Amino acid sequence: MQDKLIVIVNDMCKDNGLPPLKRLDADQHLRDDLNMDSLMLAELTVRVESEFGVDIFEDGLVETMGDVIRKIEGHQGP
Amino acid sequence: MKWIIVTGESRGVGKAIAREILMEGTYGVIGISRSKGAEVEDLKQLGGEHFVHLTYDLENVEGIKSLYLQQLKRLGVIHGFVNNSAWAYDDIISNLRVDPLEKMFRINVLSPMHLTKYVIRDMLLNKTEGSIVHISSISAHTGYKGLSMYASTKGAIEAFSKNTAREWGARGIRSNCVIPGFMNTAMSASLTDEQKERIYRRNAMKKETAMASVVRTVLFLLSDQSSSITGTGIHVDNGTI
Repeated sequence: MQDKLIVIVNDMCKDNGLPPLKRLDADQHLRDDLNMDSLMLAELTVRVESEFGVDIFEDGLVETMGDVIRKIEGHQGP
Repeated sequence: MKWIIVTGESRGVGKAIAREILMEGTYGVIGISRSKGAEVEDLKQLGGEHFVHLTYDLENVEGIKSLYLQQLKRLGVIHGFVNNSAWAYDDIISNLRVDPLEKMFRINVLSPMHLTKYVIRDMLLNKTEGSIVHISSISAHTGYKGLSMYASTKGAIEAFSKNTAREWGARGIRSNCVIPGFMNTAMSASLTDEQKERIYRRNAMKKETAMASVVRTVLFLLSDQSSSITGTGIHVDNGTI
């Protein structure tokens, strides 16, 4: 799952002129560390929803990469 | 297939817009309306595979997420959205009743906003520089007795469109309104001939708005010819000034 997620994030980083990530870290803050603005977060939402079938922003704020991973894992089940 | 969603495509302006898009042939049309299908058989004949009708009651705001995920998304990439469906509850304000007012806001405002949400999501996912066109009404700009509640739904949509344009312009997504004057459609069927004449006398050209002019303006706003136009409204109203 994390392999697919890093491809999505790095695709978006490339489109927005941001440096690619070498790895995903649960503590990475989407806005402060990854420099995602609200439009990039919207794009992340639709890309994650398309890949994993879960709307990560539907039931509350998502601030870190760990939040994203937990939402995907929660949707996929154990 | 590149798709344009047209709500309320089973009659009136919506049907004329759908027909014109199909005639041009660049895009397919996904029509969304309560129609069971018989009223759009001619569009099916005209468009063939380029026309899909989805029977859906836009009073059901909550069902729009699954309408998108289960049906719209599976059809292909959305390039445009024409918010044409509308329901009119006309009365003077002192007679206002909550139930029909709420129904009108669900059909005219809440569902178009929810559809816009998923249209934008689809455009983001597919990197589509698409166009959204809302059909507003002259009643949002010029007062008419009995239309205050209906006009308020159109005012809401115009404000929503302007802010949509500001919010998503950086991604190439445009949003505009077409503001028709009075046309002799099912929406205005309850008016008497005398009332219609009185309304027509209020515009510079003293006549009914031509539906074909409204339709061509919508097609223009959907097309690349209007690539620098967003966040605005075009009045097609014979000069109701």
